[in-house]
Amino acid sequence: MPDNWGFVAAAYGLTAVALLIYWRRLAKKERELEALRRLKAPRS
Amino acid sequence: MVKTLGWLAAASVAAGLVMAFGVAPREVTQGNVQRIMYVHVPLILASYLAFVVLALASLVYLVRRDEAADRVAHASGEVGVMFVGLGIATGSIWGKPTWGTWWTWDARLTSVAILFVMYLGYLLLRGTIEDRERAARYCAVLGIVAALDIPLVHFSVYWWRTLHQPPSLMKPGGFTGSSSILWPLLVNLIAFVLLYAYFVARRVRLLRAEAEAVA
Repeated sequence: MPDNWGFVAAAYGLTAVALLIYWRRLAKKERELEALRRLKAPRS
Repeated sequence: MVKTLGWLAAASVAAGLVMAFGVAPREVTQGNVQRIMYVHVPLILASYLAFVVLALASLVYLVRRDEAADRVAHASGEVGVMFVGLGIATGSIWGKPTWGTWWTWDARLTSVAILFVMYLGYLLLRGTIEDRERAARYCAVLGIVAALDIPLVHFSVYWWRTLHQPPSLMKPGGFTGSSSILWPLLVNLIAFVLLYAYFVARRVRLLRAEAEAVA
């Protein structure tokens, strides 16, 4: 049977991209919340 | 702690890749395309774990009305849906060169598609109900009911005639293949469980911060 490296690359590539997107989404939300918290914090 | 978990997950994913491509042998009948197993199987098993944690946390929420348990269920559902979605996609990519088709409505694939749709519905339900307490209660019930599909997915290959092969790891009598395949599979399983734990810990922290910001 041929090795079908293209399918292997597609499976690993898709997983890597999806995990990276989710990781970045979490980081973005954290930054947004931090900015909101700074805005809400009373100024001294 | 979350950061340490993240580094541990990253290191184990790197180790998993080395095992999958550097240590595991080329499979005799399928060739190198069989290496998809080292990402497909851990994704599916980690998603089982995610949905079991979701169901247990939902049960705790229903009994104690503990918001922390609801946050764990929510986070676990989100990561579980991503993992099972990727498990289905990688399985489909693996199926094309080996079975000759991207998809077939056999018992294993159909039951796992139902699992994916039910938990996707779980996340949608959370987003559509504005009252947080009511959303948590309804989702807890759905999360527990949907978990009943997990044994159906796992044992479907024994109960019905399917195109899908029997389980590799979680089967009666344990793993029967070569240790050169078992170890890469185990290292990747640990990597995906750590990745799951890292994402859930980070998402729970975020959900708590969101709740505090709204209050």
